[in-house]
Amino acid sequence: MNVGYLCTYTPKELIDGAGFTPVRIFAGDNPISLATAHIQSYACSQARGSFERALKGELDVQAVVFTRCCDTLMRLTDIWERNTDMKVHNLEFPSRIDEKSRNFFIRELEDFVAVLESWGGEITLERVKESLSLYRVLEEKLTRLFEIKPDYEVAIRVQEMNVRDAIKLVDEKLEKAEGSEGRPKVLITGSVCPFVDVYKLFEDAGFALMDDICTGTRFFTFNTPEREIRNMEDVYEYLADKYFNKAPCPTKHFSDDRRFEYILNLAKDCDGVVFLLLKFCEPHFYDYPQLKEKLEEMGKKTLLIELEFPIASYEQLRTRIEAFYEVIE
Amino acid sequence: MIVAGIDVGSLTAKCALLKDRELVAYRVIKVSPNLEETAEKVFCETLEKAGIRREEVEKIVATGYGRNKVSFADKKVTEISCHAKGAIFFIPTARTVIDIGGQDSKVISISNGKVAEFVMNDKCAAGTGRFLEVMANALGVKVEELGDIAERAKKATRISSTCTVFAESEVISHLASGEKVEDIVAGIHEAIASRIVAMAQRVRIVPDVVLTGGVAKNKAMKKALEEKIGFEIKIPPEPQIVGAVGAALFALA
Repeated sequence: MNVGYLCTYTPKELIDGAGFTPVRIFAGDNPISLATAHIQSYACSQARGSFERALKGELDVQAVVFTRCCDTLMRLTDIWERNTDMKVHNLEFPSRIDEKSRNFFIRELEDFVAVLESWGGEITLERVKESLSLYRVLEEKLTRLFEIKPDYEVAIRVQEMNVRDAIKLVDEKLEKAEGSEGRPKVLITGSVCPFVDVYKLFEDAGFALMDDICTGTRFFTFNTPEREIRNMEDVYEYLADKYFNKAPCPTKHFSDDRRFEYILNLAKDCDGVVFLLLKFCEPHFYDYPQLKEKLEEMGKKTLLIELEFPIASYEQLRTRIEAFYEVIE
Repeated sequence: MIVAGIDVGSLTAKCALLKDRELVAYRVIKVSPNLEETAEKVFCETLEKAGIRREEVEKIVATGYGRNKVSFADKKVTEISCHAKGAIFFIPTARTVIDIGGQDSKVISISNGKVAEFVMNDKCAAGTGRFLEVMANALGVKVEELGDIAERAKKATRISSTCTVFAESEVISHLASGEKVEDIVAGIHEAIASRIVAMAQRVRIVPDVVLTGGVAKNKAMKKALEEKIGFEIKIPPEPQIVGAVGAALFALA
């Protein structure tokens, strides 16, 4: 069984450990029509576009897990449950990331295991341990690949396949990967963008890329080293650490300035920063003015690009990106 | 050294020939769906006008949204950089460029003779020449006449819709309620001006402000923008060819 998910805070390791395949759901290439009857057009097109594919029967997933990351996805859970035949589970991933919510999250993980079992999954400690280590291998390999040169086609594809196949694919790419030294470097920050052609526009313009994108490095950037796992409690503790300390997303609230510090640190080595934001993505847009100001204080040029899926006009994007290149050059 | 700049825009294609930083000839023609052919045509016509042979042109730079279709160009530069460069050529004190084209509008801030920041609207017709065309059509007047008609207005009818399609319905309903055409036309100019200023505020508006693009020929538009911005706006002698001249200057560099 394939279990769909939309958010990078989904603990894929448990899905894989239950014998299912976690498959990330992205918006499609076709215009959104059926979903409009259920979600207003001023909601984000990643949510609307993903649901459109579900309604059209394009998704080979039998269940979907949501993580309450933003208001739109939170409500999408109910809409999805009412309007598809898929099994739906809402994992209440806390918005506030601290010690209290960590205990809450651990209970959510326990409940999630029970749900996966009720869906016919079989979770044993051995299998979960294998999944944990496979995902760690995949994440390390993707990190290495992106350090040489970001490959968004691979990044998107691995999110739609079994972790074992994903590792093989990244291995193949690692053998051939070549860097792009000497080019001005741009940091692309923002929400999701599964359309590989967008990144290609940046490369065509002459940029080397770095990203803080939910479908890019935020998918595989975690900061919790491997440790000994003796029982399921250890699994939950480990997953709580892993997901609480992953590359931060603006839907989460931290006691410190973790999100801004993360971006500003990435921006240090870049010549410019592009905000690649999905229209109506409130968590990102609320951060935008302050973040832009801070980046400009660092002397970085910035550019805001608003996207809506499906992307109607690549040439208009091209003009903005090339003009930004000319500004930086 | 003779160089050419070709600006293939959404509605018109422009070509400017420069000889040692001096503008010797230019042409503006309508764009056909075949952009390559359009570019060739505007280039040949300009050469003819100047009495210059093709071989004498040492370098050609293409710009505008059709720039990548100009296969005979030596280099492509975006219209953002070209408009900035062209505006400085005509008005050396330019610090902000507002370009209102046929299907997009943009605001460029210049510092040290280079583009510092820019914003573009090209997702919808609001705040572009297209908006004026649709409204002229709804009112049964020519787009070139709009500026003169607006000058006769006693007041400006408020147009509250930003969207071109909704604004057109609004204009028709104003007509039905007996509003004068000139007042509505004045309102239309104000609507575009507020749309542009809203966008311009995302960059720093520093004088001198230069207005370029075909819409700059419309006096009422200049006035409406000046009222909203609070600065005098300067308009180059031939505002439509600023991008093409900028491209030619890049060819010189």
